[in-house]
Amino acid sequence: MSEEKKVLLSVQHLEQFFKMGRKKLKAVNDVSFDIYKGEVFGLVGESGCGKTTTGRSIIRLYDITGGSVYFDGQRICAGINTYKETIKQAKAKANAQLVELKKQPASPERDEQIAQINADLNKVIEEQTALIKSAKYDHKHCNKVFAEHQKKLVREKYEPMLANMPEGEEKKALQAEYKEALRLAGKDRIMNKMQMIFQDPIASLNPRMTVREIIAEGLIIRGIKDKAFIDEQVYKVLDLVGLVPEHASRYPHEFSGGQRQRIGIARAIILNPELIIADEPISALDVSIQAQVINLLNELRETLGLTIMFIAHDLSVVKYFSDRIAVMYFGKIVELTTSDELFAHPLHPYTKSLLSAIPLPDPRFEKQRKRITYNPIAAHDYSEQGPYMQEITPGHFIYCNDAEFEMYKKELAGDSTNN
Amino acid sequence: MEKKLEVKDLIISFRTSGGKVQAVRNISFDLYKGETLAIVGESGSGKSVTNRAVIGILAGNAIVEGGEIVYDGQDLLKIPEEEFHKIRGDKIAMIFQDPMSSLNPIMKVGTQLTEAMLLKSSSGRRNARNNFNTKLQLLNKFMDMVDEGDKVEIEKNKQECETFDKFCINSTKLESAYNEIYRAVIELQLDVENQLFLNSKKQPIEVKKVVKDVIKRIPETYHPDIVVEDEKLRSIVAVLNEELKLPKSKAFSEACVKALEELSEILEAASKRTKPNYFTLGFYMMKNPTANVDDMPIEELTEMTRKYLDEEFMFGFIDDGAKAMAFSHNKSIEAKKALLVKTEEFLEYFRNEKLDKKQTYALAGEMIKLVNDAIDHLQVAKNSVEHTFASSIKDALSKYFAGVVKNPKEQARYDRQKARHDALIAKGKTVDWKVVPAALVDLDLARKNIRGIIHNLRASYRRDIENDANYNGREQVIALIEYLKEQASAVVYKVTKKMAKAKALKLLEEVGIPEPAIRYNQYPFEFSGGMRQRIVIAIALAANPDILICDEPTTALDVTIQSQILELINRIKAERNLSVIFITHDLGVVANMADRIAVMYAGKIVEYGTADDIFYDPRHPYTWALLSSMPDLDTTEKLEAIPGTPPNMIFPPKGDAFAARNKYALEIDFEQEPPMFQISDTHYAATWLLHPNAPKVNPPKIVVDRIERMSKKGVQ
Repeated sequence: MSEEKKVLLSVQHLEQFFKMGRKKLKAVNDVSFDIYKGEVFGLVGESGCGKTTTGRSIIRLYDITGGSVYFDGQRICAGINTYKETIKQAKAKANAQLVELKKQPASPERDEQIAQINADLNKVIEEQTALIKSAKYDHKHCNKVFAEHQKKLVREKYEPMLANMPEGEEKKALQAEYKEALRLAGKDRIMNKMQMIFQDPIASLNPRMTVREIIAEGLIIRGIKDKAFIDEQVYKVLDLVGLVPEHASRYPHEFSGGQRQRIGIARAIILNPELIIADEPISALDVSIQAQVINLLNELRETLGLTIMFIAHDLSVVKYFSDRIAVMYFGKIVELTTSDELFAHPLHPYTKSLLSAIPLPDPRFEKQRKRITYNPIAAHDYSEQGPYMQEITPGHFIYCNDAEFEMYKKELAGDSTNN
Repeated sequence: MEKKLEVKDLIISFRTSGGKVQAVRNISFDLYKGETLAIVGESGSGKSVTNRAVIGILAGNAIVEGGEIVYDGQDLLKIPEEEFHKIRGDKIAMIFQDPMSSLNPIMKVGTQLTEAMLLKSSSGRRNARNNFNTKLQLLNKFMDMVDEGDKVEIEKNKQECETFDKFCINSTKLESAYNEIYRAVIELQLDVENQLFLNSKKQPIEVKKVVKDVIKRIPETYHPDIVVEDEKLRSIVAVLNEELKLPKSKAFSEACVKALEELSEILEAASKRTKPNYFTLGFYMMKNPTANVDDMPIEELTEMTRKYLDEEFMFGFIDDGAKAMAFSHNKSIEAKKALLVKTEEFLEYFRNEKLDKKQTYALAGEMIKLVNDAIDHLQVAKNSVEHTFASSIKDALSKYFAGVVKNPKEQARYDRQKARHDALIAKGKTVDWKVVPAALVDLDLARKNIRGIIHNLRASYRRDIENDANYNGREQVIALIEYLKEQASAVVYKVTKKMAKAKALKLLEEVGIPEPAIRYNQYPFEFSGGMRQRIVIAIALAANPDILICDEPTTALDVTIQSQILELINRIKAERNLSVIFITHDLGVVANMADRIAVMYAGKIVEYGTADDIFYDPRHPYTWALLSSMPDLDTTEKLEAIPGTPPNMIFPPKGDAFAARNKYALEIDFEQEPPMFQISDTHYAATWLLHPNAPKVNPPKIVVDRIERMSKKGVQ
């Protein structure tokens, strides 16, 4: 089963730090996950835990500090912090060793050792510098590389056709078409394959543009000049999101909250993206409208074959909508598994506390519900060994150290025998 | 249960350039003491407008077309702004949806928190003292009236009241001092416990700071009735002082841990001691200032002082008081009986087709005076009808006479305009302006309203006279004494700047803000959304209100913080016996909070019942739609969204407002508005589906399934 799934987005050791005066705010700290093609990946956590920052870093609204993000096999953003850290550590280690060695009396052996240490250090520095260089190149030129690739595809498609065609009117037309396709391919960006839906539909739409302008803006930047084609596309997506063509000439303020969010969704899907990052698309909406938007996203996912990364804090909606869920806490992913597994066997204490806080429309249950509080100091003892991401059952990842891992395993075994 | 707030037939609309928006159309509900009423509905259904009317902050273009909001015997829609200052924030507080709009951006959070406390402290104490004095003087006056000029008795009455005044205030002072120290003990114990816990988990601790703090706080806990082991405390302080001399470290030394554990034990034992009854003790101490009661066990002491108080003072006072209460009550009942006859004359007068302004006002003045005289001022629970009579009748009269003056002018204007319009049409011109309809006051209706107010009064009088047989002077006087005690505690309760700051810090901690001491000195923009909302809640609670209105307080927050804040509101509600109105569109939140729920749509309440009624037996299609449009953890099928949008309330639809979006709508729904059908004692719904002739309709599958699931869960 897992072999069939194709990884669309792969996030590896993503780090996003913000400078706060002399201090650093580690908004996202070493986060890794994969999103498979066609799935809905939910990201939950309390406000300020870094879920929005993760989304924004992936789509390059921020320049990431460390780690890398691969989209469809191509690296689209990369940070250099990790490499710099490695060099720093290697230097510090080497220095300490050298100081230690220099205290010993001089001998050929000592000189040899010193030379060895220096050589090792230089090797590390060289390796890491090369990595930094490649990361910088990828980060800057990923769109160019992608465009070259697209151009190559176009060339491969048209050149044999042109070569085989006799001279005449037809060939001229085809040549013009070839030229246009080449131009468009040159303007293609890999980032177009990813689009974002924002939380606040009012703040994310320009009040001075009509709906048509808002939705078509992406196409225009993409290099399309054919007005009729643009209109056709705009009407098509308006229809897809449940609005009518007459709405195209209105301004955002003339719409209700739910309709505005639909415009945001239309803008996101007009470039035929493969991945949509939905950053709390429903939390600013009314209940009845929320259901409309969720249903719409579900339909679009089926008709267009979209992959969605769904960032939200309403757990019942995330459970309803997502295939896999990652739980974030203070810049770290603490648990990652399928949504059914997460709700059936939550292991990490933070996940448990989060699940215990979900309000349900059931007064009798609510009156006896006991919220579990999560206190990281009391819950974990990391004085001996630090935690890291471990796979406890296939597809169920948890952030813990070895002692806790054993404990969780026992807990899981106990759970399954009970059921 | 005591009714805290009554909203009756409230109608509110807004003047806009497009026309009159009917935001609230005829809403009535009650709020009882200590309960939570949730108002649920989509945005634009009028839930916020209703509650803004309660707190008196409607927008400038709002018109209150009718209805009453009765709080503490006053109609909040009719009292002047100066009066409202005493109620808004102090008695009725509100938490708004957007925290940034209710915080002052250029004031520090701490200042905003303590501002109300300090202001309220001085004015509250003055008010409480006034209330206390007036009630006691009134009681004294009626006692004298009972005794009819017997000089000895009058002198005795005076002494009794003076004694009561003195020892009531004194004992409250003692009690408040006790409470303060008790709180300090509990806080210190908690802090020590926390530090010991951190220490045992090998977390780094700022040892010197903590120890210094503890040493500073130990003397604050000295009180003869709470902490008795002075010797031990002194030795603990000595050990802690030794700790300070040690070199800097991140963990407590062993001796220190032991000392802290001992301290914690002592404090815990202290916090479990029974509290002496200060009311009786205060009297005993006043009579026998030299008596030494420190060695007596508390139970015995309480028993002894209670006996002493009862025999020396209370029995006599209660007897006299009961007589006075009965006297005042009888007087009021007599007056009411007389008024019942008299009001018939007034009713007859208001049946006249034309009213003379001067004569009517004279008559109304006479009537108001008689009604005010008939009020039994000694009674603690206020009867709203009597107290609002003056304002309502004045209001109704002014409306009527304004109509008398304005109607002809308005009619003339309308005729003129209409004639011009028609003339232009007749000439075959296109007219781009409309004739503004005449805004006439229906004089018959206005007179009917006046009569209605008098009828209301008469009905209330009849009830009082009927209940006269059940009147028990003793019960009433005990209620009065309770009231006086309450006022006395308000008189004693003084807030200094230092106390206000301590209280504010505690509130900040209570609402879950880490490092309150640092946060206290920050500006609102330095906080995140959730934190700001917590500040707003802290400010609303700082004034210790009677009624708390929460307007979607958790909509912008995430689950963990949401449930923390809901728990916070629930806890504070239980502690202070608050009444809460909770406005939200999230039914999950409602299930947790509400005792009763009102579902609103298009300015009307469409379903009204207890939480169990609404969630386990919903009847209105709109409630079904709301329930089926939200997923829960077991939902897998497609959600049923409500199609369309709420109606435009400038032109409210004919019939049931929800009919257009309702797939269960009957034909009659588009013709006629459904009345409220009663389903059980507590459960009402306004839908034609409940009419006996209506076809039987089952709720949507998703709702039925969920109810089934929930009831199964309940069985387990």
